[in-house]
Amino acid sequence: MQRLVRSGALLAALLTLGVAAATPAIAADKPTEIPVTIENNRFKPDEIRVKAGQPFVLVITNKDAKPEEFESKDLRIEKVIPGGKTASIRVRALKPGTYPFFGEYNPKTAQGRIVAE
Amino acid sequence: MGATFVVVLREGFEAALLLGIVYAYLTQIGHPESRRYVTLGGALAVVASIAMGIAVSVLSGPLADVGPDVIALVVIFGAVALLSWHGWWMGRHSRELRGDLQRRVDAAHASHQLWMVGLIAFTGVFREGAETVLFLWGLMAQLEDLSGWTALAGGAAGLVTAAALGWLVFQGGRRLSVQRFFGITSLVILFLAAGLFSAGIGRLQGIGLLPGGDPLWDTSWLLDDHRSVGGFLAGLVGYRARPSGLEITGYVLYLAAASFLFLPGLYRRALRRDRGVEEPDKLILTK
Repeated sequence: MQRLVRSGALLAALLTLGVAAATPAIAADKPTEIPVTIENNRFKPDEIRVKAGQPFVLVITNKDAKPEEFESKDLRIEKVIPGGKTASIRVRALKPGTYPFFGEYNPKTAQGRIVAE
Repeated sequence: MGATFVVVLREGFEAALLLGIVYAYLTQIGHPESRRYVTLGGALAVVASIAMGIAVSVLSGPLADVGPDVIALVVIFGAVALLSWHGWWMGRHSRELRGDLQRRVDAAHASHQLWMVGLIAFTGVFREGAETVLFLWGLMAQLEDLSGWTALAGGAAGLVTAAALGWLVFQGGRRLSVQRFFGITSLVILFLAAGLFSAGIGRLQGIGLLPGGDPLWDTSWLLDDHRSVGGFLAGLVGYRARPSGLEITGYVLYLAAASFLFLPGLYRRALRRDRGVEEPDKLILTK
């Protein structure tokens, strides 16, 4: 039991360290920000045009009262955005092409795509 | 209702499967009392999921943007490490554990740190836990009309179904012979961990910490990794319709390395067959 508590504390410490170490590394430089909103279970705009070969940041504001999860299988991104909140998502440099994304919690209506060109 | 049912079932399925396996495992090796570690690990994970759900909702700024990714990565690779350790232990000790219950208890007692099984339960539940909490929370926030209630009912039904599946795995698992149980769970854990490992690599590519990320092939016309069968294969064996080169490499390398660790019997048997020697059962019993 004591061991479990100790290992739990270790895990928590590792988590904290990991967050602390990765925060400045990932948030260091600021690439182009692209605003996106979620309203009535839809993304606006639902087609996002970006330059190929350059990383960018999606700044997603959820105007609905409930959370939504921005998900893209192709971009390997899963990010929950609580109702009324804004979240920034870094996206890697993309090759020219179309990359679909959707809202995991409302996949029927919340659909969109990123077009890199 | 159907949509929320599927979302929650998909999130809960992997956790339920892992919990079922480790509960049955502890029963099989004659340590049912250690199931409290698993219960505790699972319960702590639920608490941690709720805490994380609240943190994500309350906090904002760079910590809220990056924190969840880092935690997700730590949990994924932590789960891979724990499952690898567990599979390795089962592979090494499956022969000792063949005898009667008392022998199994002694063998497990001698070399196994059972509390670590509780950590497996923790990572299994916590991995999709915060997402599920936030999803259900969102459903509860829109209960003003009938469709809100049916959506919530669907989510609850998904949770109950996932729990029932875990219970079935537990009941089925504890009734198998030790050998068969170890054989089957070794395989399940092997593929589950390989899928997790490659998912972790994909997440690292997604946030740009690993290069690449473009798919090497596309089988989504055949089996979409987000719907029904493909979705469950994604959770169970890490199926990806559009995998990147690094994800495939990681998956294959993990499978190769881990099958060597998990299934030493496979290699021993092949070796014996080469030599043409039959190993008598007596040898195992007197060892």
